[in-house]
Amino acid sequence: MIEVEGLTKRFVDKDVVANVSFFVPEGEVLGFLGPNGAGKTTTMRMITGFLSATAGKVRVAGLDVDRDPLGVRARIGYLPENVALYPEMRVEEYLRFRAAVEGIPRGEVKARVDEACDRCMVGDVRRQLAGTLSKGYRQRVGLAGALIHKPPVLILDEPTVGLDPRQIVKIRELITELGREHTVILSTHILPEVEQICRRVLIIDNGTIVADGTPEQLRTGLAGTAEVKVELEGPPAEALVGLSALPGAKTVRDAGNGRFEISVEGGADIRREVFSLAVQKGWMLLELSSSMPSLETIFLRLTTTDVKAEQEAPAEEVANA
Amino acid sequence: MRKLLALVNRELLAYFSSPLAYVVLTAFLFVNGYVFYLIVAFLNDPRTPGMAPLKLIFGGTIFFWLYLLFVVPVITMRLLAEERRTGTLEVLLTSPVSEGQVVAGKLLAAFVFYVFLWVPTLAYVAILASKAGIDYGPVASGYLGIALLGAMFLSVGLFTSSLVRNQIVAAILAFAILIVLFSLGLVENLVTSAGVKGALGYMNLWNHMDDFGRGIVDTRHLVYNLSLTAFFGFLATRTLEASKGR
Repeated sequence: MIEVEGLTKRFVDKDVVANVSFFVPEGEVLGFLGPNGAGKTTTMRMITGFLSATAGKVRVAGLDVDRDPLGVRARIGYLPENVALYPEMRVEEYLRFRAAVEGIPRGEVKARVDEACDRCMVGDVRRQLAGTLSKGYRQRVGLAGALIHKPPVLILDEPTVGLDPRQIVKIRELITELGREHTVILSTHILPEVEQICRRVLIIDNGTIVADGTPEQLRTGLAGTAEVKVELEGPPAEALVGLSALPGAKTVRDAGNGRFEISVEGGADIRREVFSLAVQKGWMLLELSSSMPSLETIFLRLTTTDVKAEQEAPAEEVANA
Repeated sequence: MRKLLALVNRELLAYFSSPLAYVVLTAFLFVNGYVFYLIVAFLNDPRTPGMAPLKLIFGGTIFFWLYLLFVVPVITMRLLAEERRTGTLEVLLTSPVSEGQVVAGKLLAAFVFYVFLWVPTLAYVAILASKAGIDYGPVASGYLGIALLGAMFLSVGLFTSSLVRNQIVAAILAFAILIVLFSLGLVENLVTSAGVKGALGYMNLWNHMDDFGRGIVDTRHLVYNLSLTAFFGFLATRTLEASKGR
């Protein structure tokens, strides 16, 4: 549904987006993650055609955004990061205006406006001037405007920023529901949001894609490690050597007082092996637990250079061990 | 066509829901009323040679020009600068309307508002018609001249509004360009070269309005006004398209 190929955007002498390629099939909800300034908004603006690309191609529903910009725009519902409404228009007037601009036949406008108001829960402010709306309502009116023409593709740039917790829950529910009928690209830096809503995650940092996969794939494959915590009564030095020798154990850290933290390659579960080893050696096992790194950890590892350096640190410990 | 109408309607709503529109309208009527009074008083003086009063209203006095040079940038300054500043332009330009349609819609709306400013001046025509016979031909061509001149000035204002985010800067830029366009004809008398003199004479807006006020609809004036309107409208469209690269 959305094909992005070698997309690059150069501002002055810096590539804000550098050679980004990805494909979003029909019906997928893609979470577009990245720290502030990573290039999320710029990429989304290039997909909508609001910004032109320095290099690369974007196709939406088979249409090239450069060759048929109006065709692409007609197929996209876009909610920009800063939802701007015309303050002098009433919510209903604004939605009718959006409907007309989207080319919805006159006879259908009322029904579409009613439907969008219902879906986005803005029915109670229909007669209110957009300039007097709260941030939460503005966001929802913007969303109502973006989906008034029932576009096959929805591009939502940080739709829950600045909302109160109740509104966030409501908007997330709405996006989840929309994901059943539309192809959605959702940009955010709120990680639980992505885990809840998105089937696939794309992490962008410094204008390049650093990870692409389902949240589970990212945890297991891309983070590379799951962590097993062990507490036992036994000779620490022997335990460290024994645990390090287990298949799959990447690094083992002696946390003191008989506690060990094992990083496991590929996220495999090695608790059984740890248990067998303890039985075999006659150590008393006090604690054995396995934890997957959170998406937050992965995000930090992939997007922060300091943490990338830290990733190297445990390897050194193995060498010491 | 429906999209264009939607854009025009939205813009007119914006005009008439802002206090600026009413301030402009009131000031416009006040100035025009005062000028009308002056013209009538002047013509009532027995020493004044016989003249058609409406010809004086249509660009015959400096008041007409001064006010037009100020009022047009005020009408147009908001059009694109405000959309750019608030971010509504992003929504508009990711909707299936072309940059050309956006510019056309805004220009049309500004033109409708401009015409609306002039409508009350028909009362002067009615007053004069009730006191003395008037020739409706020059009146009609005078209004045509005002409409064409307005479209051209508005197009300049729309272009400068497309360049910046700040309305005041847009207004000042428009004012500067309009002053140049207006004064081009006035320097006609300062040059000696026949070719340059001819060219400047062709661009003399005062002469244009003088002709229109006398009932002369010269196609050269029409071409000049309409081509400049289209040219600045085109520049505004190109500016919107070029801003995609930013």
